[in-house]
Amino acid sequence: MFNKILIANRGEIALRIIRTCKELGIKTVAVYSEADKNSLHVTFADEAVCIGPPFGKDSYLKIPAIISAAQVTGADAIHPGYGFLAENAGFSEICLESKLKFIGPSPEMIRAMGDKAFAKETMKKNQVPVIPGSDGVTENLEHAKGLAKEIGFPVIIKASAGGGGKGMRIVWEESEFQKAFQTAQTEAEAAFANGDVYIEKFIENPRHIEIQVMGDQHGNVYHYGERDCSIQRRHQKLIEESPSPAVDEDLRNSMGDAAVKGAQSVNYEGAGTIEFLLDKNKNFYFMEMNTRIQVEHPVTELVYDVDLVRQQILVAAGEKIETKPKKPHGHAIEFRINAEDPENNFRPSPGKITSLHFPGGFGVRNDSHIYQSYSIPPYYDSLIAKLIVWGKNRDHAIMRGKRALGEFIVEGIKTTIPFHLKVLEDERFKSGIFDTSFLEKF
Amino acid sequence: MDLDLIKKLVKIVDTSSVTDLEIEESGLKIKIAKKVRSSQVVTQAQIPVASAQPIIQPASTGVSETAKQKAEAEATAANQHEIKSPIVGTFYRAPAPDADSYVQIGSVVAPGSVLCIVEAMKLMNEIESDVSGKIVKILVENGKPVEYNQPLFLIELA
Repeated sequence: MFNKILIANRGEIALRIIRTCKELGIKTVAVYSEADKNSLHVTFADEAVCIGPPFGKDSYLKIPAIISAAQVTGADAIHPGYGFLAENAGFSEICLESKLKFIGPSPEMIRAMGDKAFAKETMKKNQVPVIPGSDGVTENLEHAKGLAKEIGFPVIIKASAGGGGKGMRIVWEESEFQKAFQTAQTEAEAAFANGDVYIEKFIENPRHIEIQVMGDQHGNVYHYGERDCSIQRRHQKLIEESPSPAVDEDLRNSMGDAAVKGAQSVNYEGAGTIEFLLDKNKNFYFMEMNTRIQVEHPVTELVYDVDLVRQQILVAAGEKIETKPKKPHGHAIEFRINAEDPENNFRPSPGKITSLHFPGGFGVRNDSHIYQSYSIPPYYDSLIAKLIVWGKNRDHAIMRGKRALGEFIVEGIKTTIPFHLKVLEDERFKSGIFDTSFLEKF
Repeated sequence: MDLDLIKKLVKIVDTSSVTDLEIEESGLKIKIAKKVRSSQVVTQAQIPVASAQPIIQPASTGVSETAKQKAEAEATAANQHEIKSPIVGTFYRAPAPDADSYVQIGSVVAPGSVLCIVEAMKLMNEIESDVSGKIVKILVENGKPVEYNQPLFLIELA
C-alpha cells in the first residue's frame, strides 16, 4: 500500500481524496497555487507545497512543479482527481518514468480513449453499440458528404481531438453540409491543433446515461450501474442521479455488460465512465469513455454502497477490487452548487462567503471545500459544493433534496441553490421524463 | 499581610523604571529591588564563512530593541531584496557536494550572478540574482526542499 499520496488537484475533489487517504492510513501531500493558500485541502493534508502562481497553467497544470513536489516530499503516488491533468497521457507517462504511481490508467489507455474516433472504433469491434457514423476520421469533403447522406440527416460533425463543444456542428440538411464541414475543421485546427473530424448521426434530445466501471490489475472489471446526467446547461452537467428513471433492470444489465466488455477489451485499470446516449426508443449508443473519477461519482457511491476513490487507490496499489457491485439500493441525486448567478445568465460570482450553513440530517452528504469567510478565487471553475441526497426512492430523494436545499445558506455570493429548488418543483423533472433539452425549455 | 498590595507593588516596580522601593506602614516594612537587565545588542553578523558548511541563521536572541535599533532595522528592510525560488525543488548552495558554495554571507552579486541550485526532476536549475548587492542572509538550509516563491536569500541592495 502507498505510504504517501500527492493530490494533484484542488477544491472539493482534493478534499475528497484526502479524506479517503486518511481512512486508509496514507499520508497526504497537497499542492496549491498562491491563490489557494487558505484552501481547506491545504489545511487538511499532512503536508502542503506551493507550486506556482494562481493561473492553472502555472500551477495545477505545471507538470514539473507537481513531480518535483512529489519528489521533495517523498510521495510514492499521485492522484490527479478530475480535470487538470487527470486525462493527460503525458503526465501519466512522466509519473511512470519518475517512479511515481499515477492513480489512473496507463498513458496508452488515456491516449486510446482520448482519441474519440479511435475509442469509437474499439467499442464497435467489441459489439458495443455505437452511433452510426464515419468509421474514423473523414478524408475529405466529398467522402464526408457521401457518408452523411448514407447515415441520414440530421448529422453532427465533431472534432476528433475535441471536447467542450468546440469543433462541433449540427447539419440538418444536405445544402448546409459543405459550409458546416469546413467551419468545423477550421475550428478544430484552431482549438486542438488537429483539424480531423468525424461525423455521426445526430440523435435528437437524447438522455445522457453513463455507466461507472472499475478495473483492477487482476483482470476484473465491474460496473456499478448508471447515472442519468441529462440535466445540462451548455454541455455542463448540473444535476445527476442514480438510478436513471429511464433505465429498468434489463436495460441496466445490457448497458452495464456492454460497458464492461468495452473496458475489458482494453484491459482497463482504475475508475472509468462510459457515456452513452439513450434515444426515445431506449436504444443506447456509445459516445465516449472518461478515464478518470468523475464529479458526480457520489450518487453511485450512495446507491451501491462503495467508496470509489478508495477502490481507485486499492486498485492502483495492485489489490483486487474490494467492493463488488450489488443491486442498487434507494435513489441518490446530486446538485452541483456553483458560484454563479442563475438570475443573470449564470454569470460567475466569486467573492467572500460571509455566512454559511450546510444542510444536515439523515441522507444528506456535502462534498465541499468552502467555509464561512472563505474567499472564492476567480481563477478556477465555479463549483463550490456538491449536495447529494439519498432517499428510499426517487420521490423521497426529491423531497429530501428540497428540504436540504432549503437549509443550505450561502451569503456573500450568488449560488445556483435557488435554481435547483426551481427544478425540483418542475413537473417534467418530477415525472422523470426528460432529456438533455430540458434546460433549454426550462 | 496584604498579598494583593504586595502584588501591586511588585508590578509597579517591574513595569516602571523604578529599581528600588521601600515602604513602611503600621510596623510593616516592604523592600522591593529590581536587578537591571543589561540590554544585549546583536547586529546582523557579517561573519565570513570559509567552508561550504550549511549555514544556520544568526539568531537574534535576547534582543530588546530600542527605538533607535527599530528605526535602523526598518531602514535596512527598505534596502533589502528577497530572492525567491521560481520553482519547487531541492535547494543546494553549491554545484556539487564537495564544491564551494556559489555565495556566502557578504558575497557581492550582480544581475546574472548564480546564487544557488534548485534541483527539480533531476535537473539542476541555476538561480540567478536579478539585482546588485550583497548577500546578508541565507534563508534555507542546504539540501532542504523549497516551494514556489519561497524566499532563499536576502540581498542588501547596492
